[in-house]
Amino acid sequence: MLLEVKNLHKEFGGVLANADISFELKAGEIVGLIGPNGAGKTTLFNCIAGYYKPTSGKVFFDGKDITGWPAHRVAKVGIARTFQVMKIMPTLTVEENIMIGAFCRTGDRQVARREAQKILELVDLMQEAKAYPPELPIAIQKRIELARALATRPKLLMLDEVAAGLNPLETKEIIQTLQKIKKERDLSLLLTEHVMEFIMTISERVIVMAAGRKIAEGVPGEVAKEKKVIEAYLGEKYAKGK
Amino acid sequence: MRAIVAVIKDTFSLADLPLSERIAFVAFLVFVFIFPWIVHSSYPRAVMINFLLFAMYGLGWNLIGGYGGQVDLGQAKNVGFGAYATALMITWWGVPFWVTVPVGIFIAVAESLAVAYPMFRLRGHYFAIATLCVALVWQQLFLFWDWTGGARGVELPIKPTPNFTFMEFGTVGYHYFIFGLFTAQFLFMNWLRKSKLGYELQAVRDNEDAAASLGINVTWTKVKAYLITAAMGAVGGSFYAVYHLYIDPRCVMHIDLTILIAMTAMVGGAGSIWGPIIGAALLIPLDMYLAALLGGKGFYGIDFIIYALIIMVIAAREPRGIWGIIERIRRKRLIHAAGGQKST
Repeated sequence: MLLEVKNLHKEFGGVLANADISFELKAGEIVGLIGPNGAGKTTLFNCIAGYYKPTSGKVFFDGKDITGWPAHRVAKVGIARTFQVMKIMPTLTVEENIMIGAFCRTGDRQVARREAQKILELVDLMQEAKAYPPELPIAIQKRIELARALATRPKLLMLDEVAAGLNPLETKEIIQTLQKIKKERDLSLLLTEHVMEFIMTISERVIVMAAGRKIAEGVPGEVAKEKKVIEAYLGEKYAKGK
Repeated sequence: MRAIVAVIKDTFSLADLPLSERIAFVAFLVFVFIFPWIVHSSYPRAVMINFLLFAMYGLGWNLIGGYGGQVDLGQAKNVGFGAYATALMITWWGVPFWVTVPVGIFIAVAESLAVAYPMFRLRGHYFAIATLCVALVWQQLFLFWDWTGGARGVELPIKPTPNFTFMEFGTVGYHYFIFGLFTAQFLFMNWLRKSKLGYELQAVRDNEDAAASLGINVTWTKVKAYLITAAMGAVGGSFYAVYHLYIDPRCVMHIDLTILIAMTAMVGGAGSIWGPIIGAALLIPLDMYLAALLGGKGFYGIDFIIYALIIMVIAAREPRGIWGIIERIRRKRLIHAAGGQKST
């Protein structure tokens, strides 16, 4: 088992953001995490990636207990993430942004540069290598974040709403890119998303959250038919009416 | 052996600078090198030495303040540690200058390490205030203590020049002395900014959360930069002591010094390798000539009014300083040359 989350709780001053969440992720799997706004998806991400300390519960990665580790150690152990609200270094070029990711595994500037070149090619950003991120469109910026996370050579890549704000064509492109990098880099993916088309296409398994709890888990097509899931998304009335 | 050569080559390489900048830098080095042959009067020579010293201070400060984005207003304490280590060890025990330099560096780094962790719990203005307070405490202590000479300061013994043990020279000797220190530090900084630590620092400045997600230990990165900056300040202080042969807390630990150091970097362009040099080239002659011209006529302090005006203009027009203006013009031209496309 690559990632194991056991009975994870996260409270913010009495507000329960994650309650008793448990799930597993096998090496090589693509798992989608869905749920309406405020379901606690991003909180769960932050608990795994070391941005929040869980109130209770455990997180295991690759057999190690990484519960409460700081973010930079989690990154070193092989979990990379992107952010819902993009966090790109605006004063550095695209290539340098990716080099910083590569420095996670090397101290040598030339090695980092070569690695960045490889990844630029992989995610199709060669043209933009010398540009500064704020000059580029959103779809490209999303790719930069993805590329930078990839440069840390992760075993697990966690993508927080990577398709948000993209048009259908761009969404299709990012799905293709993700499938390509997964094949080449031997990755596992954990994604959250609002764009159903995206998550239902790419995930092998989805976990549904609502109000801080896990309410369903399974193959995308089946989960979408579950009464509890429809209830969470569209309300009780709608679920009955069907 | 080949690996070592490669490392040395990489360290001193100016290859990643654009050709125009390389030419400008070499021309600048040549100009500074022949300066004492062209200019024979002592005041411009003193201005030149002071310019090189402040360019060096600025380069050191630029690491934490520019690349790291942490406004440190305590650099004078490190200059003071270096200056006092050199001055006191030479006057007390007659220790050679080159032995006192590492001691000064050690004291500055050790003190910085001791205060760094609590201070880096603070951010932005609060960090700046904390650094300012620590430096003020040290200045007061050095004024108060007897063994440091208190407000009377320390006078270094005068030796027949040139003296390479205590590094005492005539003006020309000091000129080449500081020129060597400056060049060494420039090459070091030019390497450092493109190294792993340099990139990590810039990542931390731009976005701490993103930096952490890439495996960067945010606090430790800041601390490392803070320690290197401290070491740089101490080296400058050691030079100051043997150059002036007199120090007191007013001239090597005072807040004015801190502000002038930070300003050379900020006016020239914090976070760029040329910024501190441009800033020092503008501010130091301005400072020294204004003091000489107007100070005598009772206009003492007019330099501060002019500084304040410069800061206001820079802050309002281009926070990245003079170098920021140059970069902006350059980038516009580049985009223009690429046919008006934004994404090239």
